[in-house]
Amino acid sequence: MSTYGFLVDLGLCISCSACEAACKTWNNVPTGRNVRWRRVIDQVLGVWPKVSAYGVSMACNHCADAPCVKACPSGALSVRAADGIVLLDATKCIGCRYCESVCPYGAPQYDETEKKMSKCTMCVDRIDAGRAPACVETCPTGALQFGRMADLDRLGVRQIPNFADPSYSDPSIRFVPKEG
Amino acid sequence: MTLHDTTRRDFLKTSGTAFAGAAVLPGFLDGVVRRAAAPGAEAAATSQLVSACSWCGSACGFKATVKDGVLTFVEGLPEDPQGGGKMCAKGKAAAGYLYDPDRLKYPMKRTNPVKKIGVDPGWVKISWDEALDTAAAKLKETIEKNGRDSVLVLGLPSPDVWARFVNCIGTSNRFDHWDECFLANRVVSANVIGGFVWCHDFANAKYIVTFGWDLVGKAKVVWARAVAEAKKKGAKIVSFNPYKAAGTSVIADEAISIRPGSDLAVVNAMIHVILAEGLYDETFVKGLTNFEEHETAIRAHFAPYTPEWAEELSDVPAGTIRRIAREFATQGPAIAPIHKKTPSANYANGTETSFAITILNVLAGTIDRPGGRFFPRTHSIPGIDAIVPPPKYPAKSGVDIVGRHAHPFLKAVGSGMFSCLADGMRKNPGKIQMGIITRYSTMAFPNPPEVEAELAKIPFTVCTDLFPNEIIELADIVLPQSLSYESSDLVARDHHAPYKMTIVRQPLVPPMFETKPLGAILLAWGLKAFPEYWKNADGTPINMTVVLNEKTKRAGLGADFAEMKAKGFVADVAPFVPRTTFPTASGKINIYVKAFADAGFEPLPTWKQKRDVPSDAYPFYLLTIIPPMQIRNTTTNNRIVNEIKGTNEVFINVQTARGLGIAEGDTVKVRSRVGEIQLPARLTEAIRPDCVLVPHGFGHQSRLMTQAYGKGAKDAVLVPGQSMDDILARKDVGGSACIMDAVVSVSKV
Repeated sequence: MSTYGFLVDLGLCISCSACEAACKTWNNVPTGRNVRWRRVIDQVLGVWPKVSAYGVSMACNHCADAPCVKACPSGALSVRAADGIVLLDATKCIGCRYCESVCPYGAPQYDETEKKMSKCTMCVDRIDAGRAPACVETCPTGALQFGRMADLDRLGVRQIPNFADPSYSDPSIRFVPKEG
Repeated sequence: MTLHDTTRRDFLKTSGTAFAGAAVLPGFLDGVVRRAAAPGAEAAATSQLVSACSWCGSACGFKATVKDGVLTFVEGLPEDPQGGGKMCAKGKAAAGYLYDPDRLKYPMKRTNPVKKIGVDPGWVKISWDEALDTAAAKLKETIEKNGRDSVLVLGLPSPDVWARFVNCIGTSNRFDHWDECFLANRVVSANVIGGFVWCHDFANAKYIVTFGWDLVGKAKVVWARAVAEAKKKGAKIVSFNPYKAAGTSVIADEAISIRPGSDLAVVNAMIHVILAEGLYDETFVKGLTNFEEHETAIRAHFAPYTPEWAEELSDVPAGTIRRIAREFATQGPAIAPIHKKTPSANYANGTETSFAITILNVLAGTIDRPGGRFFPRTHSIPGIDAIVPPPKYPAKSGVDIVGRHAHPFLKAVGSGMFSCLADGMRKNPGKIQMGIITRYSTMAFPNPPEVEAELAKIPFTVCTDLFPNEIIELADIVLPQSLSYESSDLVARDHHAPYKMTIVRQPLVPPMFETKPLGAILLAWGLKAFPEYWKNADGTPINMTVVLNEKTKRAGLGADFAEMKAKGFVADVAPFVPRTTFPTASGKINIYVKAFADAGFEPLPTWKQKRDVPSDAYPFYLLTIIPPMQIRNTTTNNRIVNEIKGTNEVFINVQTARGLGIAEGDTVKVRSRVGEIQLPARLTEAIRPDCVLVPHGFGHQSRLMTQAYGKGAKDAVLVPGQSMDDILARKDVGGSACIMDAVVSVSKV
């Protein structure tokens, strides 16, 4: 199991995308290339008038059994031994996009300009400095949280509707389902 | 040189001085402004500066990281109890505005005499001296030849320097967007509780009920955070909204569908229940309001507004209304927020809706109480007129082209009326000979084409702005304003102010290009046009730095502005002492507003229908939202937020779409009695089958805004403007702009 992960409280995510703007500016991710490490996916379940609507803020889930790492032929993707964060070494990336094809969450982003992949680092620099990822720090409602998986397991569930089967890769994300 | 032809290379060239000392621009703008020429002489340095965001009025505090003279990152200021260290997408995208290569960079004048949206004005760069000499000469000449009222000003009544400048002109034709926002609520609040307030203590509320209000969905951090906090503490949240994916409905315990424009019926029915069952806060209502004095009239007024009556109009079951009313009255502290736009400006009954909601809060006994709407406790920062008293301003005629003077309450406020501007200009042909427009887009008006047609007729117009939005295509001279990130100010908190708080706004970088802060522009322009008003008693020109130092000192914030910059944020924490009198004439809250009755308006919120109701020709209600990553039309060109949401679509209920033969992504035509737009269809189960929703802020027509240009369509094209006669005919005491009061047809193209 990875040491850290994300928790999304679906009853609090208002799809404001502050997380995405924080991610982009902290990590210097280029704009205009559809390279979006984090984004909010809007969900509407049910049939009017009995509907449940909410956003799901999603980036790389730093899977404990990461298919992207297994698929990477150049060794660009690796798991940090200390805490399980999945990291990309762009200097080794050959842009084959195998990781993209095996990731059930669309986390690795292909940068057409650089001809390389690009992805969420869980703000590893901030974690190493004892701070939460930039996306979590700015979330206005506290819908997006960060913590140790041991704690997140007590707070949330592994599966929600339309989320890829977690048994495939053991993603480091949990959800507080929306009531009603 | 024209802005239109500005390339990246030109951008770097013109920005050479602005980037002195800069080595590398933020990577997320890579590809936009690659690498600035690096003088390399200055040592690399990183600083953290406290400042206040300016993209909405709540002004969240932030810490900016400035590396080698370049703003790279902003983060919320944890010690600021308003933002609490959080920021929204608009605020986080700070560098995206500052380093937007499309910014207005230097003064320009037009060379093409043809004034029309979509026609290249043929801009040429001019000096500040030429721009302001021309603008001042035109202003003096226009006033002399055609009178003060021949100058049209589209701009807010603040800040203080702007007010001084407009007072020098002495025109009664100053208009702003207040009627589209909170004018109705302002008139109501002033007359009921004694003043307009932004403050809502959600965090301490136990019961929150909202009517169309969706400041959560707008990601207004001060409220989104507080409502979320209330929810975590166990408060119940009920959201009435025809769109269930609205942020407030998402976060609510109960998201209740309501027919657009019928909120007033539900609120009046809630009041009916609370009065009939005696559930109001008796101590508060009997002790602090005029209830007892007018009890018979009040009870008689609300008697017919039964939940069963409201069900017919709203589609909300009578039992639900009754239950929510009881819960609201007994599970408090309870609050029903009114901020702006919704519910006060959307429909022809917006004023009455604001009025009814205000009374609901009064009955809950939470005005200026924990968990309720409260009056801000603010530092008193003197304006420039207090520091450098001006000579006597010219008298204003008090008569304006839209006819505010015919409406006693709107005349008293003296703001607003964008919704009536096109009508007013049409009825007074040739009256307006000069226009001064500051930071407004024509997208801010209902039915923009008719406003554009009128503004284009003005012989000479000066625009000050940050970005080249389409309104500058109707200008003769454009003055580039600095961003708040390049300016200085003191911002007294008024959106969450249980005690006095002031935050500094300080330059994170020097003004880029040839831009100037608004105060500097008006001082320079004023010295040329009205010199006696822009000088000190000793005849020397006013020095804005001296004024700012004096403001700091007199407000008790420090010896001078430098000290305030060092402090960043000043909070005089003090216990919240609830008011026992209110700033009305009697000191009591007016549930029954005699002043309204005396002027021929209804003294209590009286049911009336919205203006446009569905018909065979236009069977659907039009709804709009302001997406949380944008602020109306002003942020759309920012690359960071544009990438997140850069265009709009029309949301249609899945069943409705099926009936119309519309599939996801089909281009559809949305038509109202005044206009038509085309957008891709987005099918959703989250909207009422009788509504369609078009997000606001998209459809920019200015080619100079390279990110926003041509993306999406303007919802406002579908919304009819109105006249003061319309407002008077419906006896609307607050002058709602009816910005969502439209019905439309929808068809596949």
